[in-house]
Amino acid sequence: MTTLRRGALVAAFALVAGSAGAQQLIPSPTLDAIRARGHLECGVHLGLPGFSFANDKGEWTGLDVDYCRALAAAVLGDANKVRYTPTSVQQRWPVLQSGQVDVLSRNTTITYSRNATLGVNFQGINFYEGQTFIVRTASGAKKPTDLENASICVAAGSTEERMAADYFRERNLKVSIINFQKNDDAIAAYDAGRCDSYTAGVGALAGQRIKLRNPGEHTIMTELISNDPQGPVTRWGDERWQAIVRWVLNGMIAAEHLGVTSKNVDEMRTNSRNAEIRRLLGADGNFGAMLGLDNAWMFNAIKQVGNYSESYERTVGKGSPLGLERGSNQLWTRGGLLFTPPFQ
Amino acid sequence: MTRYFYDKRVREIFWQAALLLGLVATVVVIVRNASQNMVNAGMASGFDFLWRTSGIDVPFVLTSYTPDSNILALLWVGVVNTLVISFVSVVAATLLGFVIGVARLSANRLLSGLAGAFIEFVRNIPLLFFVLFWYFGVIAALPGPRQSIGIFSIAYLNNRGLTIPVPTEGSAFRIAAAVVLVGLIAQAAIAFWAKRRRDATGQIFPVWASGLALLAALPALAFGIAATVSPWDVPALRGFNFRGGFVLVPEFVALFAALTTYTAGFIAEIVRGGIQSVVKGQWEAAYALGLRPNRALNLVVIPQALRVMIPPLTSQYLNVLKNSSFGAAIAFPELVSVFVGSALTNTGQAIEIIAITLAIYLAIGLAVSGFMNWYNAKTALVTR
Repeated sequence: MTTLRRGALVAAFALVAGSAGAQQLIPSPTLDAIRARGHLECGVHLGLPGFSFANDKGEWTGLDVDYCRALAAAVLGDANKVRYTPTSVQQRWPVLQSGQVDVLSRNTTITYSRNATLGVNFQGINFYEGQTFIVRTASGAKKPTDLENASICVAAGSTEERMAADYFRERNLKVSIINFQKNDDAIAAYDAGRCDSYTAGVGALAGQRIKLRNPGEHTIMTELISNDPQGPVTRWGDERWQAIVRWVLNGMIAAEHLGVTSKNVDEMRTNSRNAEIRRLLGADGNFGAMLGLDNAWMFNAIKQVGNYSESYERTVGKGSPLGLERGSNQLWTRGGLLFTPPFQ
Repeated sequence: MTRYFYDKRVREIFWQAALLLGLVATVVVIVRNASQNMVNAGMASGFDFLWRTSGIDVPFVLTSYTPDSNILALLWVGVVNTLVISFVSVVAATLLGFVIGVARLSANRLLSGLAGAFIEFVRNIPLLFFVLFWYFGVIAALPGPRQSIGIFSIAYLNNRGLTIPVPTEGSAFRIAAAVVLVGLIAQAAIAFWAKRRRDATGQIFPVWASGLALLAALPALAFGIAATVSPWDVPALRGFNFRGGFVLVPEFVALFAALTTYTAGFIAEIVRGGIQSVVKGQWEAAYALGLRPNRALNLVVIPQALRVMIPPLTSQYLNVLKNSSFGAAIAFPELVSVFVGSALTNTGQAIEIIAITLAIYLAIGLAVSGFMNWYNAKTALVTR
């Protein structure tokens, strides 16, 4: 047997052994592209305090931004390796469909027709939103049906535009709905007195109210006219990437449920005896590798960004100017709707 | 066979046919490629969406559109609003532009200085700024609904717009409109006859007097009668705002004011250039014939200046049509706002909607420039 032959045999054996040893993964072009360019491309809102908002230092903050950061930490190991693309109501679909962003995390309501006709998939719910109205306190309007003959500013092409039209039409109340191209234009026109009300989700209104000249003179109605679940969106295709997007969100919720926080995550990884925590943080098993990620994927995300609760309280909850209660966005074990499948 | 290559006509036909074929092939490839890619990406395509219920409430509607209508009707609302805002802005900008352009040439220093300042100011500011300036200016200047400025207790002006009463039954107004049309035709006939007679005998007929009677007094009378016999829907304060009547929204007023003042600045310069292109000798010849300055301007200079002015005016008119899309910035429901804004995001069919919008702008634009070219040919210098 010549050296050459022996070499070929060894190589063939190594190839067979290698392919049998490492798990074969379906290719993920999106994940490969992110690794090659070294950062995640994330589509966010143009500017909505609490959700996606660039602060005075130019750093993006907010609940939706935190999700992007967690995803970057899981995929690249560094929560700061994100480039944000601020998008208007109209721009958000083309930037996702064309592949300009890897994921859209932008106060976007999950609807049937969007899922069916836009070529996009919704990967879970990071905020249970409900549409309502903001009015000047002095107007005396307490509930949506008080808004007869009112002018209502809204962003064109949003779910709120149609929902408001449907709501008042169904009740045979005449209102004038003024459709602006951007949320910011609509809220500016409301502030200037063009409209009696501006309509959006409760969380979005709490954020937008901060931008008004005299936030104290405005009231957000408590009665909701819709349910608007929101969460990260991907385009069709590349199932592995879609699974990663879905499970990073699940991981943040699971971490809250399991009591893992950014503070105790190191200690939990070494000392916890809970099997699910050990799997989640990569102490046992190879959960990260199953999707082609590092086994420390959720460890990195939780360490650098925090669990869902930490993110919520910091951005829209009690630790933020918005001061929202958890409400529906509470874990299912505590009377909320937030739920995650198990890490098994 | 080879002799065909040397035939210039054959060669020309060959190349043109090749170009056309190439163009058609390119379009077919692009369309097929795009639709295939969209199917692969899971995006809906086709034009069925036009017959879907729109569900979008539009605050300024001149057609019979309601949110229960289909998206095609929504498109038509946008087209009509675009045409209306463009038409009234073109008319007003032309009038204002002529006045400012002539004022620019006035011997009065103050007048020409003011006109010059206006032109320089307008031409050096972006249109978007103008639109927003007028919009927030209009809203800020007007009171809220409860402090409305009442006009004889039938019309009300506030920051939600000008609410005017509308007749609930329109047959009397249709008759009045027909009367006005008859008056218009009669005036055109008189003007035609007067010109013929002037050309033949030199006698001048006071066309303006018959114009006053036929175009001002007659319509006023006709509409006056129609207004008294028709039942009216008078606006009344209820809830947040007035109910009933028709609302001229502030977005319309702001866009109209912005397009008019902006375009007038450009038209004024075209007018000035046109008048100055007429050689001084023409003025002097007119004066030598005993024409007064007004008549010299109207009869001698302007007809010759028009020839120079019409081609650049055409492009200004087309600009107004295209600039009307700035209405999208202030929620005026024109074509871009309702169709590319609301309908596109509601249906997600970007390629179809953009293509339809482009085709509509192209069609309107070609119609406008076709009309202007016809008018240009009519006023062009006829060499004998």
